[in-house]
Amino acid sequence: MVELIMIHIQTGLKDITGYIYPNEFELHWGLLIVVYPYLTGLVAGAFILASLERLFKIKVLQPVYRLSLLSALAFLFVAPLPLLAHLGHPERSFEMFLTPYTKSAMAMFGFVYAWYLMVVLLLEIWFDYRKDIVIWSQEKKGIMRFVYKILTLGATDLSEKSILLDNKIGKVITIIGIPSAFLLHGYVGFIFGSVKANPWWSSVLMPIVFLFSAIVSGIALVLLIYMVSTMFRWKTMNMSCLNQLGELLLYAIIVDFSLELLDFIQRLYESEESIHILSQMISSRLFLSLIISQFILGSVIPMISLVWARFGRVPDEMRRMVYFIAAILVQVGIFSTRWNVVIGGQLFSKSLRGLTVYKIQLFGLEGLFMAGFLLILPFIILYILCKLFPPWVDSEVKLH
Amino acid sequence: MKAPRIPKKILGLAFIFSIVIAALVVARMLFIPPSFGKYGHYRADAVNEIVAQEINYAGYQACMECHDEIYKPKERSYHKSVSCEACHGPAAKHVEAPDEFVPGAPRERGYCPLCHDYNPSRPTGFPQIITELHNPGKACMTCHNPHNPVLPHTPEECSACHREIANVKRISYHASLPCVRCHTVPEKHMVQPKFVFAQVPVEREFCGECHAEGAPGGPDIPRIDLDTHGERYLCWDCHYPHYPEAR
Repeated sequence: MVELIMIHIQTGLKDITGYIYPNEFELHWGLLIVVYPYLTGLVAGAFILASLERLFKIKVLQPVYRLSLLSALAFLFVAPLPLLAHLGHPERSFEMFLTPYTKSAMAMFGFVYAWYLMVVLLLEIWFDYRKDIVIWSQEKKGIMRFVYKILTLGATDLSEKSILLDNKIGKVITIIGIPSAFLLHGYVGFIFGSVKANPWWSSVLMPIVFLFSAIVSGIALVLLIYMVSTMFRWKTMNMSCLNQLGELLLYAIIVDFSLELLDFIQRLYESEESIHILSQMISSRLFLSLIISQFILGSVIPMISLVWARFGRVPDEMRRMVYFIAAILVQVGIFSTRWNVVIGGQLFSKSLRGLTVYKIQLFGLEGLFMAGFLLILPFIILYILCKLFPPWVDSEVKLH
Repeated sequence: MKAPRIPKKILGLAFIFSIVIAALVVARMLFIPPSFGKYGHYRADAVNEIVAQEINYAGYQACMECHDEIYKPKERSYHKSVSCEACHGPAAKHVEAPDEFVPGAPRERGYCPLCHDYNPSRPTGFPQIITELHNPGKACMTCHNPHNPVLPHTPEECSACHREIANVKRISYHASLPCVRCHTVPEKHMVQPKFVFAQVPVEREFCGECHAEGAPGGPDIPRIDLDTHGERYLCWDCHYPHYPEAR
């Protein structure tokens, strides 16, 4: 065992440059902590997209309204799992609800999560689907009829007044939901931004950058899910909806990219003592994931291609292709953003004199396979949700 | 006047939310230990449980009472801040029954390297060895007395302890100067470095011996007018002589 550890350390030491403290050799926040902000970002982004349709009455987005709500829910179910797997002892997680500790942001996450799940997403989805659920509880047969019946909570009133009330309450929840979505993902940025001792993290811009990157990734995710699901349902895509999504995605990337650049320029100009090691890290360890993946593949190329596809004279088919590729690139870019924040913040020594390395493990609770599973799981949940509550415009129940 | 009827859906939701909240309240009643929160955000009984644990360590004061012939020299040695029980292990039982329980002493080679094996994170000047190369097979105590560890022979070069400075100086303009050109080093500093210190220059004129106008030496040495350059400041207020950039 000791020999194994020594071999592990010796092979690792070869990749270390400069001087690091002994406790910096092993990174404590690994791949799962990269997955966690990525997932919560998708939740917040998808919800904010849904609220654009509802609150700001962007009617062209109707085809993706319910889809984005369900996507947000599916990803929200999975969002805390990387944390539970990373910390171990998931059976203890309920204790933070029993003895709330307001001085720790991490201890309050359970409440932020519960609020968002119970008061925002589930309620909004329920009020939006209520009339459909009532109708399905009358039309469907067998066990599904029973399931829908329970889901109506006994409220089977479908009068015009009642539907109007549903809409009104839904709207109020959306209004509460937007700051809640900001809170959910701003919180994740806050956790990193408030680590004073880490010059790569400690920035007041962190929650805001996280938030806008969340919106970018959420819009791109819904765009992808909408395109793929429409394709598999053999339906035609609503081009004006896609154009609107593409346009929103473009604007969100521009804001996000400018904020990130602002943060970058500010750091360069401030030129604190950490700048040497950070620039060394960017040009060596993070070159691929920051410069190539996050900046070029994840921001610049999608921006240019979206401008061309949305505002140029491009046939619809080409446009769809560009949107699709841009959305995939954006996902790669945003995942890299999370990687660069989480892993990047631990790659340089607090002595500011050396760099360490991160090696992903394959198996185990914190391994690559676990991360892959946690990234696939929301799609499985979304598939089940879509079967239970079809989000498509053509399957929505029409009354009166 | 008739009270407004609460819609059924609101009642249904209220019912579910009240179940969740009630479950939380019940769970709080069941799972939170009664002493939780008495002193702070933790279980107060835990303190008593820790207090009730068996005491294993006696503390160096207890050792001192009987073993002052060992403690006295140790107090003045390099190991003055290392507690007795750090090497000898917990000795509370020994204090209670000195003859029945005798604490051990690590005599094998593997123990001292826990602190003295080479590790770049250790402070400059901290005595370190590469165990595999340092007198293989010999027990440390053959040459070193752990209660008063002094080097078996005095270091020949300043860099043995001042390695960081030596490394920087090596690539500075002063690389060719021996340390003693500027520092007066009493013989005893080699043996008792913490009690007898080496001296550093105190006057501007000292640097002037090489850097004043008209001082002897080659044309490459930077020269200044001591009367006008830097006025009342000492040279090393601006120029750290060990650094390569000291121009």
